[in-house]
Amino acid sequence: MSSSRSKPKEDVIEALHNVAAEMHDKMLKGVAPTMTLPVRTKTNIGFDDRLGVYKYGKKKTVRDATSLGSARQLLRSLHVTEFIEEMINSGKSSTLREMYYISEAWGNGKFHSQNESNNLAEDLEIVTKCLREDFKLRPEEDGARIIGNVTFEERNRRGDWMRINCRDDVGDSGYGVPYNVESEKLRLVDEDIDFVMAIETGGMFDRLIENGFDEEARCALIHLKGQPARSTRRIMRRMSDEWGKPIVVFTDCDPWSFRIFASIAYGAIKTAHISEYLATKGAIYLGITADDILAYDLPSDDLSKQDTGALEAELSDPRFSSGWWQQQIELMQELGKKSEQQSLAKYGLDFVTDTYLPEKLGHPDVGLGY
Amino acid sequence: MSEENPPPGKQKQIAISEFFEKNKHFLGFDSLQRSLITAVKEAVDNSLDACEEERILPDIKVEINRLKGDQLEMISQDNGPGIPRGAIEHVFGKFLLGSRFHAIRQTRGQQGIGITGVVMYSQLTTGGKTSVISKVKEDSSAVYVDLGIDTRKNKAIKSGERRDVWIDEVTGEEVAQGLKIRTEMKAKYQRGRQSVYQYLRMTSIVNPHASISLVVRDRGGEVIEEGHWPRTTDRLPTVVKEIKPHPHGIHLGTLQRMLREAEERKMTSFLRHNFSGVSMRAARDILGKSELEESRQPRRIKAEEAQRVLDCFQKVKLLNPPTDCLSPIEDLLIKKGLSKAIDSRFASTVTREPRVSQGNPFQIEVGLVFGGDMAADGPIEILRFANRVPLMYQQGGCLLTKAIEAVDWKRYGLDQPGGKGIPKGPAAVLVHLASTNVQFTSEAKEAVATNEEVLEEIRRALLEVGRGLKGHLKKSSQRKKAREKFELINIILPEISKKSSEILDREEPDLAPVITQIMNAVFCEEELGWDSGRKLATCSITVFNYTARARAYTLLAKWPESESVRMEDNPLGGRKEARGLWAWRLDTLDPGSSATISFTLSGLSKGDWNDTEIFFRGNGDIIGANRIDEKLLEEMRNREALDAAVEEVQSKEDAVVASLSERVDYPDKIDSREGPEPDLGSLVIDQGVDE
Repeated sequence: MSSSRSKPKEDVIEALHNVAAEMHDKMLKGVAPTMTLPVRTKTNIGFDDRLGVYKYGKKKTVRDATSLGSARQLLRSLHVTEFIEEMINSGKSSTLREMYYISEAWGNGKFHSQNESNNLAEDLEIVTKCLREDFKLRPEEDGARIIGNVTFEERNRRGDWMRINCRDDVGDSGYGVPYNVESEKLRLVDEDIDFVMAIETGGMFDRLIENGFDEEARCALIHLKGQPARSTRRIMRRMSDEWGKPIVVFTDCDPWSFRIFASIAYGAIKTAHISEYLATKGAIYLGITADDILAYDLPSDDLSKQDTGALEAELSDPRFSSGWWQQQIELMQELGKKSEQQSLAKYGLDFVTDTYLPEKLGHPDVGLGY
Repeated sequence: MSEENPPPGKQKQIAISEFFEKNKHFLGFDSLQRSLITAVKEAVDNSLDACEEERILPDIKVEINRLKGDQLEMISQDNGPGIPRGAIEHVFGKFLLGSRFHAIRQTRGQQGIGITGVVMYSQLTTGGKTSVISKVKEDSSAVYVDLGIDTRKNKAIKSGERRDVWIDEVTGEEVAQGLKIRTEMKAKYQRGRQSVYQYLRMTSIVNPHASISLVVRDRGGEVIEEGHWPRTTDRLPTVVKEIKPHPHGIHLGTLQRMLREAEERKMTSFLRHNFSGVSMRAARDILGKSELEESRQPRRIKAEEAQRVLDCFQKVKLLNPPTDCLSPIEDLLIKKGLSKAIDSRFASTVTREPRVSQGNPFQIEVGLVFGGDMAADGPIEILRFANRVPLMYQQGGCLLTKAIEAVDWKRYGLDQPGGKGIPKGPAAVLVHLASTNVQFTSEAKEAVATNEEVLEEIRRALLEVGRGLKGHLKKSSQRKKAREKFELINIILPEISKKSSEILDREEPDLAPVITQIMNAVFCEEELGWDSGRKLATCSITVFNYTARARAYTLLAKWPESESVRMEDNPLGGRKEARGLWAWRLDTLDPGSSATISFTLSGLSKGDWNDTEIFFRGNGDIIGANRIDEKLLEEMRNREALDAAVEEVQSKEDAVVASLSERVDYPDKIDSREGPEPDLGSLVIDQGVDE
């Protein structure tokens, strides 16, 4: 894995042209134009032994212009291609939302919702094996916050490299991770930590900071803000690769939190085409586990219908096929309960930093030798 | 109705107010909401009946104003013949018990006790009088009079009578003829399914020849509800003839009374003169089987002998009663009425042939409208009518509702949870039962009683409109698919071609083979329109061949052929295949080419014709048209030939009885010989081919 995965712009344009060429070639043959892309469901992701992450399998779906809906998609792809090419050539970039509004001028190729434009951008990434950064498309989504004794260099708008220590140079909200964390924008300069801890909720993140856990435990804390953005997952991956630091993940105990961990450790289904850039295969799930609910007698809520359905789906998700996960999911089904990170406050505000985390980090399964 | 024998003159008279009080539930005055509806109904029914008798196109205005407390003022005005001065107190002051019961024909005024009930209710609840203005054409001025009722003598009390010129308050012009009633009563105006508004809306549907309007004002004078239903046809309902009772529909009491009152000297003439459907031979046959001498005097027939005669009525073959005593609304007028009251996309109507059940002629009409702005998630709207009178209460217990529930609507494209009951969807179903003797479940006359023959007849009519709906839905979905395909190949595909060529800096490909590969079918699209300049209905049918092979077809189109509807322009010629079915032979269609047929029709109004059906002959299917079933077409032609022959016979024989028997028996003959009547709607053989 190179530290920069950006493609030269000629390659990007060529990849996009190949999409247009598939359509054009089909029409020359006298048949309906098509666009071929992998099936994007859990039935078509598989573990890539070489990369150590989950990737799309061989199942392909052909979108052909024999129905009005598909034909519109093809036309939109061409408009997007043209738009990206213009941006690449003029050195501009736009947000996905801006592209959605720009499509107003595309007549029959315009998008009817932002979801449509986001999905199509993903389609093109997958087909071309490029990244949306290559397409000069930015997400709206908020990157994570980091606090801890690590130092980055970020290139600012003026093009200068700016050195930032995430303990000394930032306020209480921490260092905000930019949407582009590739080496041309961000360098990992220095660190004095033992591990990186990713935290699901803002409340717990703030609690650990207030309790000084980053210094006490010699770690960098990352607030995931729910399902982590691509840049969040990417920066963790780089910290793992470039600094060789273990990544531990601390979330609620519910089926959706398990998916957050899976997207960090194995890759997300939606972005399985770039799992090898985003997923950190060695990431460790620290808690809260279903076992913890019992072991610490944590306050819990009943599983909702949606929760139960999600758990059931996870049992057949290849990313959760390991014995440990199967056991955790089954236990949770058995308990019919879920629990939040903050339920640890039952035993006082310091319980999480004084007792729970040290015990968990020191557990032989976690293997940090804490 | 024949149940309600008039009380013999000398019968002890109970105080009429007591009678009213005791029976107000079936007189329609049992609740404050219903009393108002009943009052409006009596006034409007009278107006409609009076106008119909005098062959006047009715203009009816109803006004309701809230007064203090729970009192209301109801005003109704018509342009009918008015009531001569001397008859006013009779019409408004007496319960019309018995005045109509000898005549057997279809009338509205068989419900309730007429307008007298309104005068009575007003007097009982407010102590007030009912003001009447009546103008007869021949008189130079109108009569103004206030009416009350002497409840002991069952008589009207007149007061303040005067004559004056009647100036209409709205137009400021003198009223040439008409009747205006103003009355106050304890009542409540209510919106919704059971409201005056709904009653008038339904009335307008089945009386498309009437213009009806409604204004409801609150105490302050502000309008809280308003309705205006203009007439959609200038054709008055046909005049109905009075007929004599048919032996199959008679009860012992009635027979005995008829015998008692008979003026005939011999039983044979009694039977022939007082009943319909009894010929000389039948009369002899009945008497022979009853072991009665033909010369017996009717007045001397004893009870057990009358019973024998009654039994033998069933054993003898009798002619059916004539059915021209019925006044159906007729297909097209129902369609107009429905589209006036309900804004919808599709309307299908059926008027069945008259039938006879237990000696009573009856006729079923149904209409179904679908789409438009009707609510899609609730049960369909059911519009029930008996002799052009809306039935608004007791929907669940009514035969007309049960008939709707007895249809498997899922087959026809309506949702029917659990496969039974009232279907759901954006639709309204109208059922009209016209009969000389509508049997109700109770005196309230709001629900039609169970009768297997009537039920079956309604069910068949519903199946017919259901088939129409199914065809419509299938066609809409086909049309939507075809539209999408056209957009795909005509707009999107060329843009894909242009854009991809620009991006790649290549030549644009030839799209013809691509289009053929995508479509790979022959499409047919028809468009019905209206040429307002020439007052012609227009139709154009275009066939596109998007296949790789040349195709040859004959296209056939359904059109509303009748004596008054003619084809005007028809540049392609073609020929008539059957009544209402025209055929054109098309030149060979090369791949990628299209052909258009167009024609115009005179004799229709705008909106009369909004649905046709296209059939074809030839190899390969056409999306948007159905392959014609030659066998059924042949049967149709045979039936037409038979029709023509029957008509010829009828015009030659003027003997009324002969022609009647011919006409009444005819549908049965067809039914028994050929099964279901072939009609254009079932000319399709491979229904599922394009689905």
